Amino acid sequence: MFRSTLISLATVASALTFASPAALAEDAGKTSLTLTIDTISKEQGTLMIGLFKGEEGYTSDDAVGGLSPVVEGDTVTVTFSDLEPGEYGIKMYHDANDDGKMNTNPFGMPTEAFAFSNNAPARFGPPSWNAAKFTVSADATEHTISLYK
Amino acid sequence: MSLSRRGFITGTGAAIAALSMKDAFASTGLDWHAGYKTAPAEGFGPTQLKRLHGRLPRELKGRLYRNGPAQFQYGDDLLEHWFDGDGMVHAISFEDGAAVHTGRFVQTPKRVFEQKHGAFMAPGFGSGGHPDFPVASADDTNAANTSILVQNNNVYALWEAGSAYAIDPVSLETLGPKTWSDELAGMPFLAHPKVSPDGRVWNLAVGGSKVGIYNIAPSGEVSDFGMIDLGFAPYIHDFAMTKNHVLILAQPWMMTRSRPPFVNSLGWKPEESFKVFVVSKADMKVVRVSELPAFSFFHTGDAYEESDGTIRFDVGTYKDPEFGMQGEADVIAGRYTPMGQDRGAKLAMAVLPPSGPGRLEQLPIGAEFLRTDDRFQGVKKRHTWAVDTAERAHAPGAQRLNHYDWGSERLASHNYGSHHIIEEHVFVPRPGSSKEGDGWMIGTTLNMAAGATEVHVLDALNLNAGPIVSYRAPYAWPLGFHSAWAGA
Repeated sequence: MFRSTLISLATVASALTFASPAALAEDAGKTSLTLTIDTISKEQGTLMIGLFKGEEGYTSDDAVGGLSPVVEGDTVTVTFSDLEPGEYGIKMYHDANDDGKMNTNPFGMPTEAFAFSNNAPARFGPPSWNAAKFTVSADATEHTISLYK
Repeated sequence: MSLSRRGFITGTGAAIAALSMKDAFASTGLDWHAGYKTAPAEGFGPTQLKRLHGRLPRELKGRLYRNGPAQFQYGDDLLEHWFDGDGMVHAISFEDGAAVHTGRFVQTPKRVFEQKHGAFMAPGFGSGGHPDFPVASADDTNAANTSILVQNNNVYALWEAGSAYAIDPVSLETLGPKTWSDELAGMPFLAHPKVSPDGRVWNLAVGGSKVGIYNIAPSGEVSDFGMIDLGFAPYIHDFAMTKNHVLILAQPWMMTRSRPPFVNSLGWKPEESFKVFVVSKADMKVVRVSELPAFSFFHTGDAYEESDGTIRFDVGTYKDPEFGMQGEADVIAGRYTPMGQDRGAKLAMAVLPPSGPGRLEQLPIGAEFLRTDDRFQGVKKRHTWAVDTAERAHAPGAQRLNHYDWGSERLASHNYGSHHIIEEHVFVPRPGSSKEGDGWMIGTTLNMAAGATEVHVLDALNLNAGPIVSYRAPYAWPLGFHSAWAGA
């Protein structure tokens, strides 16, 4: 049982200290990522999405991009622009009550939904880089995450 | 499967199991293995049970709910610890003289995932788990297999390290994990909640050294939630409660290291005392910590306090936690070896004076699955019923139901006979009566001679007379843990 190993996925929340949105025109050689988040069962609040480049960025929670779309249906689509092609990972949670943080119960367990790229499952903590990484190619890339599985 | 002992059990264990099964049959002709056989995935019934003798009291109407592990095997892969099997909720409905049995597995994420893969994969109390099993929270490993809470016509299947699971009271279909409030989503809900005479449900949430205390109104709303840090992490399966206090019972079987599965993290420290954290229900603060000589336990009866502040609670005491450590892995594998007559739980009254050390008044009476007249929860009372723990050479489990009267200090009992394995019996009050103990004990047994499960109703204050009425199913269902009554 989990008395000793209550995971603290709340750390995911603190990891989402986003870089300021880069709204600059796309430079040559840059690409984009269109991210669809589906199966959102609570149609309220805000999604907090952190984009991480490379293993170091992912494991050190050093985000290269962050978006916080408002939830108005069971699916949300967002686009990260001006990205260098390469390997990326995503950590996200659903701030369903819009209090600006990932809520946890008194034992520190998340009480709001969270997910990772590739729908990689958590096991006593966020999934490994190998489980969460995906490729953003020179052409526009699409990726889908199911929030409530 | 190299993470665990499972590889060993699967290989050499199976051959040994086959041999010892033969021996058991040869000596007695009684087959106890049906009590540990995987139930059909689709469940049981509804099945009308055959009345064997006697008549159901006309005023006795309602449902006996039971819960227990019911998945013991996937192919050659055996469950490693009895506490980790997927829960099956049973209902035996009593009406108009008839008894009808229904059984359904609780469809937890663990159950659904393991059914899909046809293998035991979740880590648990005594199971190592498979690296491919996803665990984002304790509820992903929730077996929902331990007990039942009935509140406000809602029925919950309880585990101890995760959420209660809501169950349809009639069809027994799984409705999903219960969230008592948004802030408490995913908090553990112990398998032994107490319902005070005013209808409030009190229970614990145990996570390492931290213990949360639920105070839930009869409406189901959380009135209060307290948090206590014990400073160490004992194994807590049950607690006790007086009118004014919650008693957190910290046995010296505690986390001493981090070594999965959970049971391997626990160390028995008999040199340390058994500590009772007395918590005020009014403000959820510890008012004192009393000490008792070291013992291990799973279940209490009930607690009450005297006018001078002395607190008493009855409990089934073990010399050490060997039963919990073993987890009946041998029995599940088909092998039975008695542990020794002094190893089973014995009835005791713990006495905690207002100050100074407490004492344990130990009685030579076997007692597990203690039950009381719940209407007197937290109030001074006379009667405790329990399953005897006297061992038999030919089969696991026990055959005698005991009733101890703390007032007259007399023991009454019913011996079902050596061909029965008896389960917890629950007290059911006689409608219209408010006298403590006036009612029935209702419980199940595995009749090994018949190869079938039986349900029996006894007069609670006259166990010596034996069952008033008994019913038999056309099949055996697996032996389980705890039960609850819902009057019609």
